[in-house]
Amino acid sequence: MNLKRFWLFLIALLAMALLVACGGDAAEEPADEAADTADTTEAADTTEEVAEEPAAEEEMAEVQLRWRTRPDNQAEIDVYQSVSNDLDASLDNITLVYEPGGSESSSYQDVLKTELAAGTAPDVFWIPGTDIADFATRGLILDMRDLADATDSYSDADFYPGPMFHLTFNPETGNTGETLWGLPRDVSTFALYLNLDLLAESGAPDPRELAANGEWNWDSFIEVATAINALGDDIYGYGQNAWWGPYGYWINAAGGSFYNDDRTACGLDTAEALAGLEFEQRIYQEFNVAVPYGEDSEPPFLAGKVGMFQNGRWATPGARASANFNWDVVELPDGPAGPSNWLFWGAYVVNANTEHPEEAWALVQALTTADTQGKIAELGANVPSRVSQDALDAFLTFSPPANNQAFLNGLARNPATEGPLWAGSWPEFDAVMGPAVTAVLNGETSIDDFAATICNEANRTFNQ
Amino acid sequence: MTTATVDPQKAPSSEDRAALWLRLATIWHAFLVVAGLAGAFIVWQGADTAVWQKAVFGVLLLGLAGVSGTAVFHINQRRSRGRNLSLAVNYLGFLFALVGSMHQLNMFVGLDSLADTFARGLPFLALIFVGLWLGSQTERFEGDLIRQQQVRQVGRAIAILAGIIFLFAVGLLDGLATVPSALLEGWETAVFLSATVFFGLMVWGMWQQPVADIFRATNADSEMLNGYLFLSPNLLGFLIFFAGPLILSLYVSFTDSDAFSTPNFIGLENYAEIFNLDLEPLASADQLASEVLDVTQYDELNRFTIFGQSYIIGAQDRLFWTALGNTLQFVLLAVPLSVIPALFLANLLNSKVPGMRFFRAIYFLPSVAAVVGIALVWQWLYNATIGYINYGITLVIDLFNTIGLPLTDPQIRWLSEGNTALLAVIIMAAWQWIGFNTVLFLAGLQNIPRALYEAATVDGATPRQQFWKVTLPLLGPTTFFVVTTTVIQAMQVFEQVFIIMGTNPAGPSNSTLTIVLYLYQKGFQRFEQGYASAIAWVLFLLIFAATLVQFQRQRTSGSSYES
Amino acid sequence: MIRSYKAIQYTRNGLVYLVLTVFAFFMIFPFLYMLTTSFKEPKDTFRYPPRLLPRETLTTEMPGFDEPLPLYYGEVNGEQRELALVESNIRIGVFVDPANPGVELQLPLDNAEPKGGFTNTEQVVVNGEEVPVYLVTSEGQTQELALLSQTALGRFVDPNDPSVEILQNVRLSQPVEELTARPENYTDVIELQNMDRSLSNTILVTVLVVFGTLTTSVLGGYAFARLNFPGRNNLFVFYLGTIMIPFVVLVTPMYQLMVTIGWVDKVASLVIPWIFSAYGTFLMRQFFITIPKEIEEAALIDGANRLQILMRIFLPASTPALATLTTFTFLYAWNSFFWPLVVINTGNVDNHVLTLSLNVLRGRASDSPNLILAGAAIAILPPMIIYILGQRFFVESATSSGVKG
Repeated sequence: MNLKRFWLFLIALLAMALLVACGGDAAEEPADEAADTADTTEAADTTEEVAEEPAAEEEMAEVQLRWRTRPDNQAEIDVYQSVSNDLDASLDNITLVYEPGGSESSSYQDVLKTELAAGTAPDVFWIPGTDIADFATRGLILDMRDLADATDSYSDADFYPGPMFHLTFNPETGNTGETLWGLPRDVSTFALYLNLDLLAESGAPDPRELAANGEWNWDSFIEVATAINALGDDIYGYGQNAWWGPYGYWINAAGGSFYNDDRTACGLDTAEALAGLEFEQRIYQEFNVAVPYGEDSEPPFLAGKVGMFQNGRWATPGARASANFNWDVVELPDGPAGPSNWLFWGAYVVNANTEHPEEAWALVQALTTADTQGKIAELGANVPSRVSQDALDAFLTFSPPANNQAFLNGLARNPATEGPLWAGSWPEFDAVMGPAVTAVLNGETSIDDFAATICNEANRTFNQ
Repeated sequence: MTTATVDPQKAPSSEDRAALWLRLATIWHAFLVVAGLAGAFIVWQGADTAVWQKAVFGVLLLGLAGVSGTAVFHINQRRSRGRNLSLAVNYLGFLFALVGSMHQLNMFVGLDSLADTFARGLPFLALIFVGLWLGSQTERFEGDLIRQQQVRQVGRAIAILAGIIFLFAVGLLDGLATVPSALLEGWETAVFLSATVFFGLMVWGMWQQPVADIFRATNADSEMLNGYLFLSPNLLGFLIFFAGPLILSLYVSFTDSDAFSTPNFIGLENYAEIFNLDLEPLASADQLASEVLDVTQYDELNRFTIFGQSYIIGAQDRLFWTALGNTLQFVLLAVPLSVIPALFLANLLNSKVPGMRFFRAIYFLPSVAAVVGIALVWQWLYNATIGYINYGITLVIDLFNTIGLPLTDPQIRWLSEGNTALLAVIIMAAWQWIGFNTVLFLAGLQNIPRALYEAATVDGATPRQQFWKVTLPLLGPTTFFVVTTTVIQAMQVFEQVFIIMGTNPAGPSNSTLTIVLYLYQKGFQRFEQGYASAIAWVLFLLIFAATLVQFQRQRTSGSSYES
Repeated sequence: MIRSYKAIQYTRNGLVYLVLTVFAFFMIFPFLYMLTTSFKEPKDTFRYPPRLLPRETLTTEMPGFDEPLPLYYGEVNGEQRELALVESNIRIGVFVDPANPGVELQLPLDNAEPKGGFTNTEQVVVNGEEVPVYLVTSEGQTQELALLSQTALGRFVDPNDPSVEILQNVRLSQPVEELTARPENYTDVIELQNMDRSLSNTILVTVLVVFGTLTTSVLGGYAFARLNFPGRNNLFVFYLGTIMIPFVVLVTPMYQLMVTIGWVDKVASLVIPWIFSAYGTFLMRQFFITIPKEIEEAALIDGANRLQILMRIFLPASTPALATLTTFTFLYAWNSFFWPLVVINTGNVDNHVLTLSLNVLRGRASDSPNLILAGAAIAILPPMIIYILGQRFFVESATSSGVKG
């Protein structure tokens, strides 16, 4: 019997609670006033914004812009939040709202596209370089060429030419320099993270010295990896992670490429590309000196079991926090075709449906000034995208690792630019290439079989 | 809703009142006819409304006018149908206006601000439950009615007090304060609220027993009205949030919708692409695919040899077939792995030895945990270089080695090798499902009458015979339920793979690409939503077929003693 | 005879317990691992062989060193001692006397120089291989030895007796550790991902969904079970059929619906569409159908209306079904992931639920399993605690649920 009353009572309670939800804002303000009690910093931020808004409103019609990046950790969020606050103060008539997006594994780009489709996406957002073409050809991002031409202080030449090639590419004419899809936020390269303790114990020559002497190539790489690998069953000479960047290096350094020269067809079956892939296959199948392909190499590296770990600058914060050994970095070894590396980048772009294109363009510029880039470079997770010695000098001061120069060397010595695929679909190309390369590196497919079939399938991801 | 009992002496007055109601109802419905027609006209004239909005609202308003008109007609004829129609219209109008008012008062969107303050009310929410729990502890005082009463009252008092504090803590006053201001703000709110009141009053009036008597409403009428009334919240929500989207999704599957541009109707093309296969004979078993297949259209899916002749199968969408294969593999392994051990454990647990409740509790634990969290834990357990699973295997191998059995450590690369990745996901899923299935089987076992076993024992049946001849047949309905739900669950596997495989959910060589994952990639990464919807419908048909097969088998085995 | 029967009984029970315990271990271990790892120091999370309990390497202060030195076990004169690592990566040569190649000596390379200089080192053949010859100074004497290979060792000193000094391999040395716990992981994760807010959001969503579902299912189930109205059977079959429809079929149109009514990124989108459950209606209907009709008819004759009958007769009798539905709905609402992933912005942490926070967390803290698993614990433990408290309710409800199809 009493059960019934309790149900009734609870339902009434819920109805009341629903009533509480009435008229959101009014209920929110007292909450913010009480923020000093137990609320998080987030709530405190809201209070600040609430406090700022009325003051700003009095000046002029304020334009509110939302912008978003893909931060990897709290430190990054904090830096971008403070950048947002600073720019908010310095840009007239613009109020900024920074929203940290999800990480790579939580589908940052997919969520963005969903929101673009629904019309709920932010005005300005960061996307990786590989996605520029997809967003541009779908008409999701704004071509800012006209705005840029009308801005005296702006010049394409201030940024690294690799990313700018793609950011000014016109998919309709096939020419570069005709559009402006966005401005690069930063660049990054690969390096080998070295476990100095394992290196010393193995008695192998120091790659940093070899690199200084110009002797750091695939042969000496294998020599060092083999020596370290011999230290024990659970010790590996080398480790990389399973995505296009790491294996792309081996292909590029052998003189090959994913595509043909004008990036309109698959180039994975050229002799050079196959030579690079074959060497990498031997690392896994013949020399047997690496963490099994596909296993995340970061945990064993941080556990002190991997001698050389190939990764970008973004792995540095993790190594600082968790590595229980002496470590440093060295540039990637020179391949048969000379030095090689990737130039990774991502860009700030503007939502094609933004209501305030001019303000958004102003924000994109403000986000890529030398000053802003300096603040972000302080994080140590990436290199400024402006060609500026000051910015690079600032980057070098931030250690460990002691050998920061290795990242800059990678940038200077013939890097291949991470790039979108204007003549096809990069995600689909990647979806064909990735599993096929994995099968080769795991020894499930021979190089010959790979060569015979890969481009048939990969070419279908290009526009006819 | 109080029941009006008919008192013979007051009958005339209540009849008068009923007649008044009917007159009011006639006026009201006449008004609704006019309002509906006018509204439909205005909507149709609206310049900036989309066509589909015009159509939907136009039809709704015309329907309102039409039904109201019919109702007036029947009411005047004193036909029961008039009352029913009137009730239906007014009730739907009431709901619509109520939801509209709630929307105007920001009650739905305002849940966000409830979320802001909700944390402060949590302790009191917990206290409510404590109070409820306390109040239900009456059986401890069996026989002592006074004590039972006291317990109930104390529990209720605590719950009510906590509830009031809870409401204040989460900001009831602030919420209430917004109501008058919202009323002053715009006329829409006032319109919706007054419409709510009018419709509500009309429903209430028509519902009255004297009115019903005038129409000579039968028990069947009352049952029908009650039936629709009780089902209505459920049915309406279901139509809006389930059936509507369902039909839309079927339509989308016949278009090339990409979420960004206007979709074109393309008929069955999406389905044709999914099922486009090509079978060609091969000159030799290892002939290159490009020599026999049109490689601009087909990818090699598989090749096989039958009676000495080799064939190759090409598919236009190879990944769909890969995904289908993986999903079926998942079902074929994960279902037995989570059902058979569960049956076994349930039989062990069914004995009357002490401690069984403890074990039952432990086995059930994984079922209450979030898949996302579980997958994150297993991801680290599966780590091939520093994970516990390989460490455990190494320990066992070492043990064998020390006792003289030379075995080599397999060093399984659980998540990074095509052969094992799917198996790893299967093991994790089975681990999570076993406990739940065990509990279901246990329930089925406990429903089997003891007497049957006793009879079997008298007949000299061994425990094994008892299991095969008594337990298993009588568990038929439970097994059907367990297998069906597990299969349906397994066909839709997504979260496990999505989380545990990290940045590459499709896994090494696409070995963990499941149908739902492929659908997600197509629909929400490539934004081929038309194609994705077609995949979704294919998956639905597969699930439907699987269920039907099991249903048939269950029926033909005819072993159920329950019904 | 009786004794042997008892003996069989005991062995049988023993075996049963053994099997049950082994299974229980496998069921529990991942949770144990999650809990212990969530209390580990960052440097303790990556290690092999793995260790369940969180540990911390002990350190000691020594005069002449700014930083505390880590302690390791080392053998000094056949006796196990705790030693401080004062210097690592001392380059060591493995030498042999070319005249007596059987005895290897490990000596610091600092005290050795190649005979004939670095560029033109004299070579000698040892065991068939050409190796360089070094002049090695040891204990005041200089010897000519062949260098076989190089390695590195650490210098360990007894903190209580600095004269005791040994060289040994650091990687293979056993560190001196004590058990520790780092609850800061939880505060870190709460700060990093606003997990406290996600927790309260999840509770809010779950409570609303559970009560909403119970209400609509009880009403709908009663209508299907006991009230006759035109179209009832067809509707019921329709309801039944939809249970089989996978949610993914609906994701796209549902998202578009949410956009149309402005619920994208709102808590309402996590609640309102989910309180209309075909499964719940089916479950309640199945249960209500078993309640004898006679009681109801008697009540009707007494003048009770349908709602009163439902509240007074049906609800009190259906505790098991209600408990089952509560359990299912609770778990569903608490653990749902796909829909929040689609409908809630990743940027709007204020409306995140736990699964969503976890999904972002696994990217942001991909190199810190201690943080990820602390996050997982926050998501997994509350339902588990509720489950343990209400074990009887949960399991017995599932046991007595409408598994009568």
